[in-house]
Amino acid sequence: MGEGRGWGWSVIRAYTVLVYLFMFLPVAVVVLLSFNASQFGAFPMTGFSFRWFQALWENDAIVRAFRTSIALGLMTALVSTTLGVLAALALVRYNVPGRDMITTLLIAPILVPEVVLAVALLLFLNFLNINKSFGLLLMGHVIFTLPFVILVVQARLVSIRKDVEEAAQSLGATPRQTFFAVTLPLLMPAVAAGALFAFTISFDDITGTLFWKPGGVETVPTQIFSMLRNSISPEINALGTVMIVMTVGLPVIGAGIARLLARRRGA
Amino acid sequence: MSIEARERRQPWILLSPALTAVVLLLIVPLLFIVVYSFWLRSATGADTAGFYLDNWKKVLSDRFYRDILFSTLRIAAITTAACALLGYPAAYFIARSRGNKLILLVLLMLPFWISYIIRTMSWINILGTSGALNSLLLMLGVISEPIQMLYNETTVILGLVHFLLPFMVLNIYVSLEGIDTNLEDAANSLGATRWQSFLQVTLPLSLPGLAAGGLLCFVLGAGTYITPVILGGPRDAMFANLVFEAIIRQLNWPLGSALSLLLLAVLGALVLIYNRYLGMSQLAKGLG
Amino acid sequence: MDNTTRYERLRDRYRNGDISRRKFFGLIGAAGAAYGLQTPFAKYAMAQDVKQVRFDGWGGVVSEAFRKHAFDPFTAKTGITVVDGTFPGGDEYLAQVRASQPGEYNIAHLSGVFDYARYHNFDLTSELNLDNIPNMANVMPALINAFHAVTPDSLSAAPYDYGSTGLAYNRKYISDDEAKEKGAMLLIDDAYKGKIGGWSDWRTRVWYGALQTGQDPNDIQDIEAVWDAVRKHRDLALKYWASGAELMSLLAEEEIYVTEAWSGRVYALQEQGHDIGYYDPPKGFGWQECLFVIKGSPMEACEELLNFMLDKETSIAVAEGQNYPPALDPTKVDLGKKIPTLPAFDPTGTLAGLTFANPEYWNGHEADWSETFSRVQRGY
Repeated sequence: MGEGRGWGWSVIRAYTVLVYLFMFLPVAVVVLLSFNASQFGAFPMTGFSFRWFQALWENDAIVRAFRTSIALGLMTALVSTTLGVLAALALVRYNVPGRDMITTLLIAPILVPEVVLAVALLLFLNFLNINKSFGLLLMGHVIFTLPFVILVVQARLVSIRKDVEEAAQSLGATPRQTFFAVTLPLLMPAVAAGALFAFTISFDDITGTLFWKPGGVETVPTQIFSMLRNSISPEINALGTVMIVMTVGLPVIGAGIARLLARRRGA
Repeated sequence: MSIEARERRQPWILLSPALTAVVLLLIVPLLFIVVYSFWLRSATGADTAGFYLDNWKKVLSDRFYRDILFSTLRIAAITTAACALLGYPAAYFIARSRGNKLILLVLLMLPFWISYIIRTMSWINILGTSGALNSLLLMLGVISEPIQMLYNETTVILGLVHFLLPFMVLNIYVSLEGIDTNLEDAANSLGATRWQSFLQVTLPLSLPGLAAGGLLCFVLGAGTYITPVILGGPRDAMFANLVFEAIIRQLNWPLGSALSLLLLAVLGALVLIYNRYLGMSQLAKGLG
Repeated sequence: MDNTTRYERLRDRYRNGDISRRKFFGLIGAAGAAYGLQTPFAKYAMAQDVKQVRFDGWGGVVSEAFRKHAFDPFTAKTGITVVDGTFPGGDEYLAQVRASQPGEYNIAHLSGVFDYARYHNFDLTSELNLDNIPNMANVMPALINAFHAVTPDSLSAAPYDYGSTGLAYNRKYISDDEAKEKGAMLLIDDAYKGKIGGWSDWRTRVWYGALQTGQDPNDIQDIEAVWDAVRKHRDLALKYWASGAELMSLLAEEEIYVTEAWSGRVYALQEQGHDIGYYDPPKGFGWQECLFVIKGSPMEACEELLNFMLDKETSIAVAEGQNYPPALDPTKVDLGKKIPTLPAFDPTGTLAGLTFANPEYWNGHEADWSETFSRVQRGY
């Protein structure tokens, strides 16, 4: 693969491997410690055990929190990406008066310290006599994931040449048709990146969730946070391991099966 | 209705859902914070409503807040630079690789699956005196005593870089992916070296992504409060820690409101500058 | 692909445009519906009669014990469901309660007397009818009297557990004799520079500063001397910890050799085989926790739930889970085998051996000291 690309490419590849190693270090620690026999993991490890996985399997609270987090993350990604793509489209493709101000306004949710945003929103709801609910929590997550989507979609949209869209319109397509047939497919990487951002940020959020969650609703981070006073159970490490095995393992297995089928068909 | 009128209305229709959400759930609640910043905290019990400038005088004149604000901006700037240096080559590799890009991107987001607190705390197992790195160095005989690496400003920055790097890489990747590789080939065929064609074609075209990633890293870095608490020493603090302490620990909402509005003003000014000189309107014009 | 075929393809895709558009509007509709689920009218439907009570407390073992021994039996008996929430700290929780409507939060597992006084100052106390809580008779009078100092004529909470913040040290490096001899001074001993920890809580820092300067923590004469001791500790310390989880891992992994620590957390470390010693210096910091009923709650339901939670079985299960002794009087109730071995446990039921913070004194200085500590911590 590196052939014909010169030594510069090899350097970039080695550099990238190092960057990935840096990203994986804490992940590796968590995965290793999920197999540790004792609760506090200093290296070298004291023993190998599956006890935390078994405990995780039996812990309804964590499993329930995990499901809530996934559902909340998916919904946030859906709503936030939709709103973000529409807004980015308007800002880049149209001559909107006061564009700088509007962009700043839409990015504002990540400029305010989250704890302030959390308390401010609660004060406002209290003023309106509205109780906390899952819908509110969702809207809160949408608000602070929106800037991520808008920034990444805008950056991509700028580099999509207008003449492709104009060509479509000259053939009689309405702006809406042009968007779905031309712009959206070209925009897909940014839409995917934006949705990925929105999902992971929502999945990982603590401060806002802590303040906005209604009674009886726990996400994985709030569940962990409330365990901090006593001690975080290594079941949480086990949960991390399970999730990583799922995200890494499933695509790899899928790709393997696809390759196997292709080979069989080829033979 | 004329086509022109529709053309004028169209962007507002597209913007209205996002703007409604932001105005209702952010701007209006922030007005409460503005009002609060003029109230006074009484020693115990409820706050005194009214129009007092005390909090603002304190926030703007006290060296304590200014020093921590500057050190926060410095830490955010170092973090952003480190993310750019680490992230650009990686993003370039992903964008130009012939392998499975999706898997590479998903792998990059992998650490997010482990809750922020847990993955930040796990640096203790890597850099601590009985952590992996010290154990390795002891085993190799490089050192005879464990080195104290944790709990200083450097580890705070390390934790922030680890948290923010994926945002940088994804933003750069997305804009690199949008560049037609034929442009680079054209430059090469005209006699430019690979390095020259990168500097003159690819890098300028990927600047929107770099700028967006930089803005995200800077702003998120400047607003962090959990990382310094977990990875910093007793003195290490960022501005958001002061906001958190004022509002949550000291129950001083008026002061906390003024502090957070100050941070908002500084970061908001940065975003306005970004929009004017690096941002979308400028680039859109350039690429017109 | 030449331009003609490219445009032909585009035209084919326009025809499918309608479907995409419908899908697209479907998405927006779903978002709107999700938001619409929350209407301002929903609360009126709920306010009719008591169907549920909200309880907030610590997560993990504590909430598991409550769920199993108190909430589920309570629901089975009364038909009222208990919605439980968790919080990472009393300060965060108070901020939430302050920004909520009356009745939204009902019962909370709070840090004892300060919080009791703070909630009283914010006008959030309720009045319990003790006739509905017969199990209150088993609670140590010393703990109840502390609340009567704040609200002489009524009670808004039931005491639940207690513990102390004493000195924890690694026995490999620091002997029991040394800890006893040096007491609070161990935390500002130059010999352990870089191996000292401390809780990032202003009350604890000031309390230990008072002990280090030979003053009574409930009557500090020279606060400047206390701040100097806090500064000295700050410069010698490697880390201020902010949670029990951090405290335990710092000690277990030998990042630090000495810190002040919560008694129950040290016991948990000892249980796991770590050689950590614990010593309450003279005038060491004792504290208690309570089940607080917030103003505006359905009182009868809350009282019945409190009675369930004070039940011997529930109290013991929670105590064994979190390693803090229950508020039940050991001279009246058999607390089993494990609880008498917990640190800070008082078999006499008088708690004369522990020093508690005077709530009036400490809350009176809260505004000033908490802000000063925030500066002192950062080197000012």
